[in-house]
Amino acid sequence: MVTRVSTRSVLSTAVVLLASIPLIYVFIYSGQLSIAQWSNLWSARLPGLLFNTLSLAILVTAGSFVLGVSSAWLISRREFVGRRLATWLMILPLTIPTYVFAHIYTSLTESDGWLGLLWTAIFGADVPNPELYNVFGAAFVLSIASFSYVFLLVSDALTRSRIDIEEAARLHGLVPRQVFWKVSLPMLRPAIAAGLALVVLHVLSDFGAVSMLRYQTFTLSIYLQMSGRFDFHAAAGLSLILVALSLTFLILERFFRDRQRYYSAAHAQRSKRRPATKVEHALIWSWLGLITTFAFALPLAWMLVWSWQAWQQSLITKEFWGYVQNSLVISVAAATLATAAALPVALFHARLRNKISQAYLHLASIGFVLPGPVIALGILSFVLSMLPWIYGSMFVLLLAMLIRFLPLAIQAQEASVQQLSPSIEEAGRSLGATPWENLTRIVIPVLRTGLVSAWVLVFIDTLKELPATLLLRPTGFDTLPVRIWVEASEEMLELAAPSALMLMLGTLPVLWFLMRQHDAVTK
Amino acid sequence: MKRGLITFLSLWILALSSPLAAEELVIYSGRSDKFIKPAIKQFTQKTGIKVVLHTGSSTALLNKLKLEGKRTSADLYISNDAGNLQKGSELNLFVPMEAKKVAVIPANFRAKDNSWVGLSARARVLVVSTRDKSADFVKSVFDLADPRLKGKLAITHSSNESYIAGATVYLRATGSKAVKSWLSGMKSNVGTSVYNKHSKIVKAVASGRKAIGLVNHYYIYRHLAKKPDAAIRIVMPDQGKAGMGVAWNVAGVAIVKYSSKRKAAEQLVAFMISEAGQKQFTEVNREYPTRPGVPAAANVPKRSSYKIADIPMSELGEYRDATLDIIEAVGMP
Repeated sequence: MVTRVSTRSVLSTAVVLLASIPLIYVFIYSGQLSIAQWSNLWSARLPGLLFNTLSLAILVTAGSFVLGVSSAWLISRREFVGRRLATWLMILPLTIPTYVFAHIYTSLTESDGWLGLLWTAIFGADVPNPELYNVFGAAFVLSIASFSYVFLLVSDALTRSRIDIEEAARLHGLVPRQVFWKVSLPMLRPAIAAGLALVVLHVLSDFGAVSMLRYQTFTLSIYLQMSGRFDFHAAAGLSLILVALSLTFLILERFFRDRQRYYSAAHAQRSKRRPATKVEHALIWSWLGLITTFAFALPLAWMLVWSWQAWQQSLITKEFWGYVQNSLVISVAAATLATAAALPVALFHARLRNKISQAYLHLASIGFVLPGPVIALGILSFVLSMLPWIYGSMFVLLLAMLIRFLPLAIQAQEASVQQLSPSIEEAGRSLGATPWENLTRIVIPVLRTGLVSAWVLVFIDTLKELPATLLLRPTGFDTLPVRIWVEASEEMLELAAPSALMLMLGTLPVLWFLMRQHDAVTK
Repeated sequence: MKRGLITFLSLWILALSSPLAAEELVIYSGRSDKFIKPAIKQFTQKTGIKVVLHTGSSTALLNKLKLEGKRTSADLYISNDAGNLQKGSELNLFVPMEAKKVAVIPANFRAKDNSWVGLSARARVLVVSTRDKSADFVKSVFDLADPRLKGKLAITHSSNESYIAGATVYLRATGSKAVKSWLSGMKSNVGTSVYNKHSKIVKAVASGRKAIGLVNHYYIYRHLAKKPDAAIRIVMPDQGKAGMGVAWNVAGVAIVKYSSKRKAAEQLVAFMISEAGQKQFTEVNREYPTRPGVPAAANVPKRSSYKIADIPMSELGEYRDATLDIIEAVGMP
């Protein structure tokens, strides 16, 4: 037992050290800023950036709350025709990266785009159609791109929550609306808060959408400092402030997720879904249909139409399939690596549950709080100064993906790691299993669900990853997101669309797998 | 089976991450693939030298070169902006070429030390609506600051490299005070509503939403090629005896200092400045060849028909930070 713990601690220490590389570089670079530079940064940039970033975060939070909570409540409290389909429709937006949403909606709202034409048809040519290059545009794009996180967490909590309390409230004379506001919603608070904190973290670190919409948040400003002015020090200084901001939300998220456990009841009566009336059917489907139209159907239609154009102009060449292959290679490798690396950290925390393991967990979450371009720069500096011989190979890119998505993998594994009680392992050992046998025959089978979700989540996010890939990909190694980026900045719609479509298709099978597992757990 | 799958995947990954073949030239390119591939293809056909394009944003690639130092796999760097090329020279990332080899390109279109050479030029011009007459008084880019154009002017956001390059030319031709008040005037004309693409500016003027816009010349002809009847016309600003002339900017190429294939890289540069290469490189995007005597696309205004601002292209890099400072001080969106 003693040796097992120490292997774990050695391994998890190694993983955590690896994960902290970018943060160390942020400290080194920002440490070289003089007091005058700091105060200049503070007064000239900070107020505007803080205002921009926070107002975007607040709007996206509000948007995701409305979309996520309403859809989750309808789907887990009412039985209606097409409920399974509706669940799918609410998570499908996860297959579309934020920069693709941004790109699609900017071209749709142009005067000759579908929405632009519709606008002119309704309001006439005199009323200029709405522009997305502002906080509302960015909030719209990020809300439809990330409300699914809230949906998933809240519908999960609703399925597990105790229906008997709601029934008691109804027996005491509350009308359904009052039940929702006074009973259901307060019970859901932890799930909602966790979901929203997750959304905020995504907003803070988003690079693709804000850069396409030219909306200056911290992340975009950091990128511009680095690439336009070659000012790594100012970029690092801004990153440090961003890290502090994100950490606050990360800790909030953890706090609420821990609290959620007290609210769910494993043995209590599970929720029942009331059959929806005809009127309710119409209402439910018009609301969910509206959400789906914007969050999935329109983008899908756009991708299909332009991909068809590309196909007809035979623009889908051998090179295109090369990009598909590159994307798959890096995603499979990163998902496998991150899942494996997360395991010791998760196990270590599950066993010890002390301050050190907690600190490890937080350090491993750096991928969540540092923006992609900063992680990429940290890795680049590290590799060039410490491991120059691996520079230019895929390993550098893999390392960046590992660090970016390690927190995701750990989080996904945590729940199943908690089911692994020490006694099972001890039983295995006492029956003569070697540590390796113990790992492969007991630990891994028990953790299967967690490992699979971790793999799937990292796979999906690596498939969509843009900023680190842009900087760190080996020469000539273009992935689908990189191509979308390159073609979209030249407005080659026909060329960006097939890549976006392939990304979505690539995500579907793994998402299906994840959902099947999810169903098995919540049934 | 599982183990077989894992072995297969690792081999697949290893095979794909193997280093590039030795005879391939690597170009870090900030120019759209579409506008560079035809010329590259012809080069490969002629010389048998293969080329790998590593495309990205010009500034990000310059950053990458700087960080990589001698570890870089790049042999050449191509950017659409002389400012970036000059910045690379100042950072000592490029190796100068022999003067006699690049002498066919006029001196003001290349670096003083020949560490980069301009390949194609774009003119910063005005696109004006033929229906809305309210912007017809504009004769100079500085007229764009006139309050009469409030709500009628279309410009890009201020981090666009052509925009910065144009402002740098005006800064060198007229001084920082004039540029500062010009920017402030334009800012009050556009508010926060700026465009992120030049092509959208042309569209906005063509559709009548705006009366006038500041763009690179080829965006106008790109639009006219699709819609020959569009209600737009080109205006060459700042002409006449007292005018400073139209601002030009060049796209160019440099050989990376740490390239191990300098010979092949020089061959590529030689091809790009040859008459055939110049034609191929500029034609697809209707730009002006930097080599005199090679004609530009037919419908584009002849270079001899208007006055060009007399500013060496290398100054676009040398004074870029000064321009950025003014842009930031004014707070241009």
